[in-house]
Amino acid sequence: MRVTLSVNGKPATIDVEPRRTLADALREDLGLTGTHLGCEHGVCGACTVMLDGLPVRACLVLAVQAEGASLLTVEGLAGEDGALHPLQQSFTEHHALQCGFCTPGMLISALDLLNRIPNPTRAEIRSEMSGNICRCTGYNSITDAILAAARSLTQKD
Amino acid sequence: MTEITGVDPKGNESVGRAVQRKEDYRFLIGRGHYVSDLRLPGTRHVAFLRSPLAHAKINSIDISSALEADFVEAIFTGESDPFKSVSLIARSALPSYIETAQPILAWDKVRFSGEPIAAVVATDRYLAEDGLELIEVEYERLPANVSAWSTPAEPLHKEALDNVLLERRFQSGDVKDALAGAEVVIERELISNRQGGNPLECRAGVALFEPGDGTLQFWSGTQVPHLVRNALAELMGMSEAKIRVVAPDVGGGFGTKAALYPEDVAICMIARLMPGTPIKWVEDRAEHLLSATHARDHRYLVTAGFSSDGTLLALKADVTCNVGAYSVYPWTAGIEPLMAGGLLSGPYRLENYDCMVRAVATNSSPSGPYRGVARPASVFAMEAIMDEAARRLGMSTIDIRRKNFIGPQDIPYKMPTRLVDDSGHYERCLDKALELFDLDQFLEEQQRRRGTNEPPIGFGVACYNELTGLGRAASAGPRMPFRTGHDACTVKVNPDGTVTVFSGVTSQGQGLETTVAQIVADGIGVDYDDVQVRIGNTDESLWGFGAFSSRQAVIGGGAAQLSALVVRDKVIRLASELLEIDINDLILRDGKIWVAGEVEPRLSLAEIARVAYLESNRLPDGMEPGLEATRFYDPIRGAFAAGVQIGSLEVDVSTGEIRILKWVCVEDAGRVINPAIVDGQIAGAIAQGIGGAMYEHLIYDGDGNLSTGTLMDYLIPTSGEIPEMIIGHLQFPADNPLGVRGVGEGGTLGPNAVIAGAVADALGILVDQLPVTEGAVWEGLQ
Ligand code: FES
Ligand code: FES
Repeated sequence: MRVTLSVNGKPATIDVEPRRTLADALREDLGLTGTHLGCEHGVCGACTVMLDGLPVRACLVLAVQAEGASLLTVEGLAGEDGALHPLQQSFTEHHALQCGFCTPGMLISALDLLNRIPNPTRAEIRSEMSGNICRCTGYNSITDAILAAARSLTQKD
Repeated sequence: MTEITGVDPKGNESVGRAVQRKEDYRFLIGRGHYVSDLRLPGTRHVAFLRSPLAHAKINSIDISSALEADFVEAIFTGESDPFKSVSLIARSALPSYIETAQPILAWDKVRFSGEPIAAVVATDRYLAEDGLELIEVEYERLPANVSAWSTPAEPLHKEALDNVLLERRFQSGDVKDALAGAEVVIERELISNRQGGNPLECRAGVALFEPGDGTLQFWSGTQVPHLVRNALAELMGMSEAKIRVVAPDVGGGFGTKAALYPEDVAICMIARLMPGTPIKWVEDRAEHLLSATHARDHRYLVTAGFSSDGTLLALKADVTCNVGAYSVYPWTAGIEPLMAGGLLSGPYRLENYDCMVRAVATNSSPSGPYRGVARPASVFAMEAIMDEAARRLGMSTIDIRRKNFIGPQDIPYKMPTRLVDDSGHYERCLDKALELFDLDQFLEEQQRRRGTNEPPIGFGVACYNELTGLGRAASAGPRMPFRTGHDACTVKVNPDGTVTVFSGVTSQGQGLETTVAQIVADGIGVDYDDVQVRIGNTDESLWGFGAFSSRQAVIGGGAAQLSALVVRDKVIRLASELLEIDINDLILRDGKIWVAGEVEPRLSLAEIARVAYLESNRLPDGMEPGLEATRFYDPIRGAFAAGVQIGSLEVDVSTGEIRILKWVCVEDAGRVINPAIVDGQIAGAIAQGIGGAMYEHLIYDGDGNLSTGTLMDYLIPTSGEIPEMIIGHLQFPADNPLGVRGVGEGGTLGPNAVIAGAVADALGILVDQLPVTEGAVWEGLQ
């Protein structure tokens, strides 16, 4: 089936079997391998992308369901010039990534969190981010990074 | 505390600073290169058919209808060559050890649920999985046994009718005598839970056999690429010169990726049978939980004697480790039991020790290395003994530990297992941890709550030592046909003065590109940004055993330092010739040559490098062109790292729910190269330890079916469960070129003991079995 969608602001058309997941379509058909797969059953959050402004697990969405949708993946976060998004910047400053495998999903979930709650508390961050597994960091540095990014983003506004 | 100073202070030193990691930018923008990201033209995907039964004879495998399907390109089973003639046999010279032959694809018998039986090749993974459904296997069930301490009805291997693959006794002093004279004798049975490392990226591999020159390339998320190349050459009858193993970015390892698996060998063999076609296998989580290595399924029967003042007089133990269906390649079934027996007494002085350890095969996924190897369980056992002795003697759990610590005055301390402890800083760690934890305040609050209806609180403490960076003398334990004491590193100054390092280390998130660059930058005297580090490629680095035993900062780091110093020395010698100034007056700093006392540099490293590579006419007599050095490093012994964790929690007595209130960890990491990375290793390891202590449990039913086969049943903790942590450091330099101690695993060693101890303290019940789940606590309260 033909699916027309927009990914990181650019139009894309793919031809997929109805059973193909959005994650596989992004990774295999569009070459956007920044979206990772950690479980393929909706628990780990590594595959989280924004679909029409809301976070979804790309391993649980079929590519055909994204017809007409506008997607944001980790590849779309940094500026055209390569400048990091404040969340990305904060993640590196707070050592919120080790192997980097959870990072794309973490960044997208964190972006969604800050869209909804611009000034979250630590406790809010911990509970809101509990749908994303990180096996490396122990989460404290991720919490620090999101908190700091929230501060820098709200100061800018 | 000993103050640390650098080799010699030079300008922009990067060691000791939390420099920006080299890895971060590509990971953050989604441009990491993990194996599953590799997209070679013409790639074919593999899916494995896995046994649904834990123990069965295979009567027949019928692939005829699968072969007829037009979307199936090829199917391979184990009963034909090359698969049939090869098996994974982990070797050890230990006297009682029984080898097991792990098939690449099982063909006569399956020994655990999830064992690979056939491989289907198709243009994509969906079609390959469709192909699996068309294969018919006829099994004849055999009785399955998944417990290492029950009598098997049917042995797994005919070579070991009792399923015991290894037994070893550690003995020192006279335990019987010492127990007879003890004031208090404690007997406990302690059981730890089966877990898996579960890196967020599952296993993956891409193999390509190039018919033009007969070379095999294997991209693998392995922690041990050089060992893999070595093994593949032997198993496939190829020359090592024709095999290149590449571990690109790897999404976590934790030991799980330090084994060579049948699937790895299978895809390499398939690639050779399908020359020119890239063969790709990306494991999913369900496969990972079933068939990647497990760990920590142990039972400890312990008897310990203490004198009235709390001195540990004797320790007698019988340790059984469930090692799964096969002796893990290449580490052997001895990996967990030998570690458990070797370090059971931990940081405590002990003369009389009698410990029998055994490795027992069962119908479960093979046990392998997992961060902390055995010690999260053995520390749990030892600390439970200390806690109970304190209670029986009316001492505090803190005082009894102080009484028994190996101290600085005992160093070097020969443990009853003949390992030599070079640390002795346990009490200092404990002091600092107590200070950060604020025990007095906790005890006051605990007292206050006792008279109220508020949830009871308790605290637990774990003191441990970790043998890190094992050199050739310390890595002798399992008597495998290799000694993991050394690594190599090549440091090269390029003609433009930048530096490329080819290091034998590998990284699965530990930031080794960064750490090695920091060491080399300071070693030579150049800016950190001018150093590029290449790792994980057997064609580029000379040799490295890889990531395990918290060894790389010590050993790989040592090799990087030595090579950098040799290069630095040559740069100075050449500069001295060019400038006609004595070498002792020259300094290489920030990539420039300075004369001592002058404010402006005389030459840049780029100018010197240009001469070294492009103007040999200007080289002094006898000096070879180029600026490069390769050095090996082997610390011979190891560096013990001391650690203490203290945590407190409250228990909801109506549900058994545990809430962690505070968590403190103090470790002696020796000299810290990158504080952010070191703290990250400790925090991540503690989180894994808490997962194992409270949530993670791989459970087989009586028939050997894994009932925790998804992440909905196997619970990896999230930010909702893991507490904030307070991490403190001591920095006693170890006896190696950088003064570092390994830090990758220690954090996992504490949480079992802390949680069990704290629950016991809060509720006055004994915790003998892990994990300490809500349900288990509730039951304990009834
Ligand atoms: S891969 Fe989608 S949630 Fe884990
Ligand atoms: S950084 Fe490795 S899983 Fe989060």
